[in-house]
Amino acid sequence: MIRIGENLNVMVKKIGAAMKDRDPKPIQELAIAETKAGVDYIDINLGPARKEGGPLMEWVVKTVQEVTDLPLYLDTINTEALEAGLKVYKNKKGRAVINSIMARPESMEAKFPLAKKYDAGLVALLWGPAGLPRDASERGVLAAELMQKAMEFGIPNEDVWIDPIVTPVTSPQSQVQVPSLVEFMMMFNDLQEMTPGLRSTCGLSNVSNGAPDHLRPIINQTYLMMLQRYGMASAIVDAFDDELKTFADSKRPDLSALVYRVMDGEDIDVKSLKKEQADYVKTTKVLMGNILYSDSWLEL
Amino acid sequence: MAFAIPTISYTGKIKEVVLGKGPKAVTIGGETSYPFHFFEGDAPHAPRIAIEVYDAAPDDWADAALEPYKDVLNDPVAWAKKAVETYGAELIALQLVSTDPNGLNRSAEEAAATAKKVASAVDVPVLVWGSGSADKDAEVLRKVTEVCDGMNLVIGPIVEGNYKQVGAGAIAYKHTVAACSPIDINLAKQLNILLGNLGVPDGQLIVDPTTGGLGYGIEYTYSVMERDRMAALTQQDERLQFPLICNMAKEVWKTKEAKLKTEDAPTFGDAKKRGILMESVTAVTLLLAGADVLVMRHPEAIKLVREMIGDFKTK
Repeated sequence: MIRIGENLNVMVKKIGAAMKDRDPKPIQELAIAETKAGVDYIDINLGPARKEGGPLMEWVVKTVQEVTDLPLYLDTINTEALEAGLKVYKNKKGRAVINSIMARPESMEAKFPLAKKYDAGLVALLWGPAGLPRDASERGVLAAELMQKAMEFGIPNEDVWIDPIVTPVTSPQSQVQVPSLVEFMMMFNDLQEMTPGLRSTCGLSNVSNGAPDHLRPIINQTYLMMLQRYGMASAIVDAFDDELKTFADSKRPDLSALVYRVMDGEDIDVKSLKKEQADYVKTTKVLMGNILYSDSWLEL
Repeated sequence: MAFAIPTISYTGKIKEVVLGKGPKAVTIGGETSYPFHFFEGDAPHAPRIAIEVYDAAPDDWADAALEPYKDVLNDPVAWAKKAVETYGAELIALQLVSTDPNGLNRSAEEAAATAKKVASAVDVPVLVWGSGSADKDAEVLRKVTEVCDGMNLVIGPIVEGNYKQVGAGAIAYKHTVAACSPIDINLAKQLNILLGNLGVPDGQLIVDPTTGGLGYGIEYTYSVMERDRMAALTQQDERLQFPLICNMAKEVWKTKEAKLKTEDAPTFGDAKKRGILMESVTAVTLLLAGADVLVMRHPEAIKLVREMIGDFKTK
């Protein structure tokens, strides 16, 4: 699985301050560290960047590209800032990716031309005019609309990274979306047949938002295996989470085999399993919606 | 092929919980299907209604709610007796509002003495409800468990902030706890787990999902209760298979719609009728969502709801 490092974010105190003071050192150090950690892309997250977003993105892109050849995700909702970044971006080992565009007419009309003009990829969020889709079918409809629009603007399939929007398993309103996104990934295979080359991505860690910190890794890892099964191509992740990298690199086939069995509805007796295995089985059941989430789910 | 009505396949059962002691003790729970789905499963115990008694005379009630109790407002023991003898209460819900630190701030000792007097004066099960201040309730409810040793009261609301103190008291002195979470199914489950880990036996636990009155968020409560019953009955969620209690009367009667006088809001219609109907409709809604115990106020609303429960039972 392709990993996009999420760490270069204006919300991180040190990075936010460096961006404000135009101090290249902390930003370059982080970019170098992310590169060493083996990510495939570096996400540059400026947040809303309402004021002076253009000059800031231009400066950050130049600053980061001085120390790494990795391709970049340009992450802001400020269209002007996106364009300023794309203008100075140099394609060393891959094209830039706009993060992100929504499945809304005004968003598509503003950003598809940018991608075309600067030969960039784009993350296409399945967030429609009515907000977050309610089920797999609504996600499918938005994805189809996006792909049709992309075609009209002459964007190649492989430049579009569909992001079906990961939601937290911890809260009542959003937890029903967790298994429905897995269901969408099964549909996604069909969509890829119609639009060969189409890619996918996700903000993985949102699934565990709200869970106790020490229990977030197992949720993220399990969901990664579940999404990967149906072809999730990439995820925006903590570049320095080596444990998660093990899973992203598919180095735990023993656990993914177990997870798949739960996904297929097999009733596995957790008492017959070792603690680690039992924990992944329980977590899969929670993420499939078979067990209602509670902070103590591993203890039951 | 003949048309077959689709039915739900259930895998779980709500646990039975006994409230109170002696010949008037009440058993609730035991359902094996969704509320009133008699065609799919069993509901051995009909939902019950507890009538409210306040430990201090209320100063902000609607006239219609005061009227039935006007001769007993200053005497919780007399109030409880009237509720049982005149209005046929099967349970009493004693609201210890006077302990509220932002109000009269009465002591735990005083409140516990009142609880014991009320519980000794009636033979029906008694629910004892704190003011809702987690810290004060930790003190007050803990004291109630001790002073009323062995009476098998229902003690609530137990929340995440005080479950250890009050839960330990309930275990030691043998009472049933009402676990209360803020209209959130995941937190409800978590609190049940915590109380189980603490050592509260399953037969001494009921769940208060927190309720809003009609027009004031009742739909959220409805959804949480609905999800709770789905997990308990169709997903074998053992930590949610507990009876549900809704402390609803105070939510209904504090609303503008229940309190405004007829002359102040002529377009709202008759104040008394309005309040009673607000309470009845709230009650029926919560019953349909799966409530096993309702805490109610107005005798006429109670009568209406009892009739409805009876009609449903006889199909």
